Amino acid sequence: MIIRKGALGIVLPSVTIGIFAVLIAFSLVRLSATEEDMRIEATQNMLWVIARSQVASLKLQTAASTHVRGMDTPVEVERRLNNFLSHHNILNHGPQRRQMVEMGFADALDTIEAQQAELRQIVSELETGDETSLSRLHAILSPYDADLARAANKAMTAEWDSLGSKLDNSRQEVSHIILSLIVIALTGAGMTFYLVRATRSARSRAQLLESEKALSQLLVTSSGEAIIAVDRERRSTLLNDAAATLFAITAEKTLHRRLTAISGIFSEERVESVINRALDGHSVVLRDLPFSRKADVSAIYLELRCFPLRDGTGVIGAIMFFSDVTEQYYARRDLSERRDYLEEQVALRTKELHAALERERSATAIYRNFAAMISHQFRTPLAIVDSSLQRLMRRSNRLEPDEVLERGGQARSAIRNLVQLVDSTLDIARLEAGQIEQNSVAWDLDRLIADVVDRQANEMPDRTVRYVSGGPSLVLCDPVYTEHIVVNLLSNAAKYAPPGTAVDVEMVSVDGYAGCRIINEGHIDPDDREHLFERFFRGKNASDKKGVGIGLYMAHSLAQLQYGKLSFEILPDSRIAFTLVLPLAEAACPAGL
Amino acid sequence: MYRVLLLVILVLTGGTVTACDPVSEGNTELFDLSQPAGDIVLEVSGAIAVRNGENGAQFDMAMLRGLSTVSLSTGTSVTDGSSDFEGFLLRDFLSGLGATGTIVRASALNDYVVDIPMSDIERFDVIVAHSMDGEPLSLQDKGPLWIVYPRDAHPELQDIRYDYRWVWQLNALEVQ
Repeated sequence: MIIRKGALGIVLPSVTIGIFAVLIAFSLVRLSATEEDMRIEATQNMLWVIARSQVASLKLQTAASTHVRGMDTPVEVERRLNNFLSHHNILNHGPQRRQMVEMGFADALDTIEAQQAELRQIVSELETGDETSLSRLHAILSPYDADLARAANKAMTAEWDSLGSKLDNSRQEVSHIILSLIVIALTGAGMTFYLVRATRSARSRAQLLESEKALSQLLVTSSGEAIIAVDRERRSTLLNDAAATLFAITAEKTLHRRLTAISGIFSEERVESVINRALDGHSVVLRDLPFSRKADVSAIYLELRCFPLRDGTGVIGAIMFFSDVTEQYYARRDLSERRDYLEEQVALRTKELHAALERERSATAIYRNFAAMISHQFRTPLAIVDSSLQRLMRRSNRLEPDEVLERGGQARSAIRNLVQLVDSTLDIARLEAGQIEQNSVAWDLDRLIADVVDRQANEMPDRTVRYVSGGPSLVLCDPVYTEHIVVNLLSNAAKYAPPGTAVDVEMVSVDGYAGCRIINEGHIDPDDREHLFERFFRGKNASDKKGVGIGLYMAHSLAQLQYGKLSFEILPDSRIAFTLVLPLAEAACPAGL
Repeated sequence: MYRVLLLVILVLTGGTVTACDPVSEGNTELFDLSQPAGDIVLEVSGAIAVRNGENGAQFDMAMLRGLSTVSLSTGTSVTDGSSDFEGFLLRDFLSGLGATGTIVRASALNDYVVDIPMSDIERFDVIVAHSMDGEPLSLQDKGPLWIVYPRDAHPELQDIRYDYRWVWQLNALEVQ
């Protein structure tokens, strides 16, 4: 907008001046044309010349006839002849002849010219009473007189026509000039108006500038902010009272001092770079600048705003505004601390909530899986029981005792499985509800394992279980739970090991713990390994096996319950090993047991 | 008739045809006029101090040609191109006659009469020409004398109000 206004300020007067120039030039051209037209040429005085010629001719004839009647001297006739010839000469030469020729009287002039000699002869020989010569004179001059009369008419009309058209031209030219003058006057009026307005606006701008200058002066001197202006050599050119107070310098030493001499703060790298940047033409703000006048006074915090000072050519210095922002600084710091704390709290709570949500989600998933699995696992023994009972009922009248026993045994076995399942389910429910209590006692692990191995060997005659006993084995445990764990591990090993391979059981002892390791051939998918101890997890190799995925989970949980640990590893010979360790009784209760 | 008689008397009395001594420009020395011997071609009357007759000063062509001759080359309003005129300076001529007045009334053989302001004569080098392009002016043309303004040298003279003061066939001047 400012640019457009500025351009208009130049273009408008230029255009106006251009219009002036053109119109004035136009008017001058018109005026000079008019001036040229106003010159009247003597050739336009043809009427007079012709009239005089005619009069001279008539006077010559009069003088001649008077002389013939004896009443005048030959001298007078000759004078009249000369006079006549003189006028004829005028008419017959120069511009006059051209005009006559133009009007069609060339012949008349030429005739007289040719008859000059005769005329002179007649006049010189004219005697009193010589009527013949007089007649001859009349005969020569009469046609000339008639021609001159017609020429006079033509000259008159031609002159009037020419004058009329000249007047027409002049009138048109004058009207053009008048029009030009009107436009010039209007443009001039517009220009004057524009100039008056421009002058007024310039004056008001100047006044505004004055008052702004006064205001800034007032602001600088009365401002609560410390203000220092410096030149390019970093010497102070302005330093207000507030700055003098802030930097504890006396008022008369404020000007033309090096900044570094005013305060040590100006030697600081940050402040120096700010001033350098301002002298490079940038506006910079530096916040929370600690400042203390004396070492023993606690620091205040300053905010430094630094701006370049320019004249038309470039940056001539910088001006700095210092304001005390100590209160704001502390307030801001408190606020920031409080905010950090709150954010921390919120993050913590959020994390907890996320964990809870995750647990809840997985629990839901688990129970969904569990329900499906349980229904499947429960249905199998129930189907066995059902089919056994059906068979017994169908063949009730011809049943052999052996068959009854066999079917009943099958049904009972299925029921036992069912009961086990129910037990397991209850166990896990109790475990999750934290209802399982453990009663740890010092117990001979070696014997416990040997018993279990024997029992398992009976139950699974086609699976070889090799047990090597020995080592310290008095551990602190709940024998029921420990047996549960070992049974579980052994049955797993028997269940998953390839047929015909042996299961090894060996005692282990590590640093205050003792336990057993159950080793078998087989394969566990690497993806499954880290999930082995999760509840309801069933590995890829378990899909065709009975089970609900709680055995290892229970075993793991029970080991922890007894302050022991159940771990899994792949041995270097790539066999699978589950290791249970329990605290040694001596280590846990050196005094009691 | 009178003039012819006068002429005869002059010839008979053996009056010498002597013009006055030419006077230099600006000189107020008056003419010492003799009597004209030939045909009188110019009569000056009115407010003049030097006379050689009852009515004023009379000149024949010889007397006029004896005056200090000046040349002037100028165009005229009635001829084409520029012409060379010879004659005498009217200003010097009138001052030689001790003329005092503001108007000179010039009369011609063809009965033309016009008033010439004395200021014209003072401002411009107006001459009374007796020859044009080396030929004496003829009585049957614009002769014997023609008042010629220096028209080409002064643009303001190229005006009909000056053109009518170019009296040809001049034969009398009356200073008023």
